[in-house]
Amino acid sequence: MPTDLRIGPEAVWLGRTARDKAEAVDLCGRLLLRLDAVQAAYLPTMHERERSVPTYIGEGVAIPHGTDAARALVKRTALAFVQFPDGVDWDGHRAVVAIGIAAHGDEHTGVLAALARVLSDPAKAERLRQAEDAATVVELLSPVGTEPAS
Amino acid sequence: MSSINGSDIKKVVVACDAGMGSSVLLTSQMSKSLSPHGVAVEHASVDRIPDDADLVLCHSGLVSRARSAQPGTVVIGFQMFLGDPAFARVEQAVREGETIAD
Repeated sequence: MPTDLRIGPEAVWLGRTARDKAEAVDLCGRLLLRLDAVQAAYLPTMHERERSVPTYIGEGVAIPHGTDAARALVKRTALAFVQFPDGVDWDGHRAVVAIGIAAHGDEHTGVLAALARVLSDPAKAERLRQAEDAATVVELLSPVGTEPAS
Repeated sequence: MSSINGSDIKKVVVACDAGMGSSVLLTSQMSKSLSPHGVAVEHASVDRIPDDADLVLCHSGLVSRARSAQPGTVVIGFQMFLGDPAFARVEQAVREGETIAD
């Protein structure tokens, strides 16, 4: 399975603020744009997706992404980690981390598996929410279930 | 209503709207607990659920779409992406060979 994607420091924005979910989703989209992972038209589909099924997954983390139809607007699979220390109201939940996703394959499975593992461990989840440098995020979200790098 | 015995489950499909976020995350989680029992776990967009899926897991808001896409296949809905009781129910049915119904 192609699970070679990793989050690098360029994909981590710490200490951001957003007034509401829409602004937070936009910031994730802007980071995906900056990573040259999506076309600009991908961003509205991230909001569209939030209106159908919100992407808050628990432990203060949301994973906004576009719709199935928007896959054509994805240039390359990428993840965009944005931290909001003051929290953002996400349909009644408080999100402190939003991880924007753009995917056309399964290359990000390893990182999401790492995320699931981090969130099932309260101490690690807290480290992720409170991360003060990109290296902490990169380390916590190192892909799991992948072949060792050659 | 559809039902299936846990011992007949060979493929579980986690479906979501786009098939690129939560379903990917859940697939990795479910695969950890189900693959030791010989059950394959895949993710898919709710509109592209493979025909050989024995059981479908999806967010409760997508259950009716999943049912109309695959009539006759057991579709189990969940509310929470982490720690929803639905995941434990599916695991138990597979582990104990119990019947699970939607």
